[in-house]
Amino acid sequence: MKTSKMCAIFSNQHEYSQLKPLTDERALSTLYFAGKYRLMDFALSSIVNADINHVYTLISQEKVRSYLDHLGGGKEWGLDTIGSYEYLDFYQNLMRRRSRGENYFDDLILFLKTCKMPYTVFIGNKMAANFDLKAILHFHQSNGNRITPVFKRVEKDNLAPDDHIFVLSDNNVVTEQREAIELTSEGPFNLSANVYVMDTDWLIHELEKAQKSGASYDVSERLAALAVKEKANAYEYTGYLRNIHDIPSYYQANLDMLEKDKRDSLLYGNQKIITRIRNEVGTYYDKESDVKNTLISTGCTVKGEVKNSIVSRRVNFAKDSVAKNAVIMANCKIKSGADVEYAILDKNVVIEKGVTVKGKPDSPVVIKKGSVISKDFVLD
Amino acid sequence: MSTKMLSLILAGGKGTRLGKLTANQAKPAVPFGGRYRIIDFPLSNCANSGVRNVGIITQYEPLRLNNHIGNGSSWGLDGLNSSATILQPYTDNGGSKWFEGTAHAIYQNIDYIDSQDPEYVLILSGDHIYKMDYADMLEEHEKNHASLTVAVIDVPWEEAPRFGIMNTDSSGRIIEFEEKPAEPKSNHASMGIYIFNWKRLREVLTAGFATADDMVDFGKNVIPYYLKSDERVFAYQFSGYWKDVGTIDSLWQANMEFLDGSDGLALDDRSWRIYSKNTIDAPQMITENAEVTDSMIVDGCYIDGKIKHSIISANVDVQRGSEIVDSIIMPGAKIGKNVKITKAIVGEGAVIGSDSVVGEENGEIAVVGNKEKIGVLPNENK
Repeated sequence: MKTSKMCAIFSNQHEYSQLKPLTDERALSTLYFAGKYRLMDFALSSIVNADINHVYTLISQEKVRSYLDHLGGGKEWGLDTIGSYEYLDFYQNLMRRRSRGENYFDDLILFLKTCKMPYTVFIGNKMAANFDLKAILHFHQSNGNRITPVFKRVEKDNLAPDDHIFVLSDNNVVTEQREAIELTSEGPFNLSANVYVMDTDWLIHELEKAQKSGASYDVSERLAALAVKEKANAYEYTGYLRNIHDIPSYYQANLDMLEKDKRDSLLYGNQKIITRIRNEVGTYYDKESDVKNTLISTGCTVKGEVKNSIVSRRVNFAKDSVAKNAVIMANCKIKSGADVEYAILDKNVVIEKGVTVKGKPDSPVVIKKGSVISKDFVLD
Repeated sequence: MSTKMLSLILAGGKGTRLGKLTANQAKPAVPFGGRYRIIDFPLSNCANSGVRNVGIITQYEPLRLNNHIGNGSSWGLDGLNSSATILQPYTDNGGSKWFEGTAHAIYQNIDYIDSQDPEYVLILSGDHIYKMDYADMLEEHEKNHASLTVAVIDVPWEEAPRFGIMNTDSSGRIIEFEEKPAEPKSNHASMGIYIFNWKRLREVLTAGFATADDMVDFGKNVIPYYLKSDERVFAYQFSGYWKDVGTIDSLWQANMEFLDGSDGLALDDRSWRIYSKNTIDAPQMITENAEVTDSMIVDGCYIDGKIKHSIISANVDVQRGSEIVDSIIMPGAKIGKNVKITKAIVGEGAVIGSDSVVGEENGEIAVVGNKEKIGVLPNENK
């Protein structure tokens, strides 16, 4: 039984040095988001929520551990069942084959031919958004497009330098595309969500043409250019979308989840976001705890004050500790009397007794994974 | 493919004393501790003890239970040489095979057990909260060259008359079994956990039912028969937390002991995890208006009210102005505005309309049934 007409290319090759040290050991798409999720969960959930179970993952081979660790066999996403088909490939592999003059898209083309799905969706996995790919396919079919790009109207602060921007004519027809870094004017801009629904036969043909002419192996860049060439009719995504490319955008996107409309759009839409199961016990709030306006995951113990924060799994807040406006990743320990404000604590961070870690709203302090902080760290 | 020890979980009981909470589901499927169902305990104990093949015997209202267990993947029982098999009564040429008692349920599933070809069978109840290493029990069983090993726990002497009491000799061999004795000689209570040598148990059950010497119940028939036949029956002493949550009082109490940490169960101990079917919900949102103290809350909850000394299970909504004290709210319940819930168990998917009052501080434990609706609900208020 074929439940979907689409197969998916799930991809990211972008890494931003401005996100260090959060991405020292992990790929951008495996960054924690909204407590218990990783960024890739959003795109992958969009894929499986559209009943797609043929997925070609095309990523950078650096930091692949964090990817494989999170995805495992794909069980949580239902990608381990009969009829599903997963393939993993690396951009470095494409690059190497291209430099040797080989046919670098052959594996991808073979995948597309094997799936025998009439449509293919390409989806980048670095943005936090919840796409209804079936609705986009419907739009694609009714417009008779060969390629349907997806865009979101955003302000300049929601752009990464290497994002693509579409210039659209009246009927949302793509007439031009640019890299965000070239922009001089102020917004709003039509940000490419890096989601494209395409006719598979057409895509295979375009990939064959591309590798014959030695074009770039950057699929996403190629698709943006093709959208212009095809005068494609673009689909406007109106839900929550946040582009994560530096520390302030990462911090702000997390704190966005404290706002009801944004949280509802991303996490409580009619499509559930799926992530890895960890079997944690419920979160315990002690008699002395004081928690307000906080999104918090299971397995935590709270004995202190936690306000306006996003908290991942198994975090321990000791008695008389304070955490405000903080993004706290899994398994951190905030010891008694410690004070954490405007900060991002990466996984396994320990803030020792009585220590103050304090940043500013527009420049939060970032504490590297596994650090033990025993001296005050306050931004002036 | 033979398996050394096959586990059979008796999960077919109605749990009459849980009233409304088991009106539409078997007792082992009743939620516990915010994110578990009671049967997660024996299933996780099996998984953690390396018992990889588990038959779950169901009878009464099995739908929810079957859905929860699925293919056993939540407990890692879907791997190679692992299995979770739901065993429901069925009919054959001999007529229907309803289970009339604990041992009869095993007898009716002989075909399944034979197909697994076990050396030992581990019989468990699906309605106890505890952590136990069955591998350790098996080791003692083998060391004693026992035919049957019964797990026992020492209960307070005044409570002993409520249990099946095992009297042992100095070597731990059981020499006498008394069901609910008025004047107990020991306080070793049977936990309803047995390891049998399958070959022998098979003979005893088959011969018994063939000769109308019916082996319907382990406590009433099989264990007395074993003792009478001078089989080697040993006690396995267990000393951790163990709770039969068969009544509203004990279910409420066990939840509260879990919340207070006085049970010593340490469910956050990652070396012996209790696994459950996970529905992957968003993190819990504690709003600006919320006040949460001395409580446990699970994924998918939205808390806009006051929670004190309570367990709030997955996907529960508590709206503004509501106050929940000393209570257990089961998954998916929706609590309206300005509701007061005190010393209560609110069933799965129950809906409590705004301004309702449930329970009272010094009263009996109030129970709201699964999917029960109380008070005026928003949609009916037009």
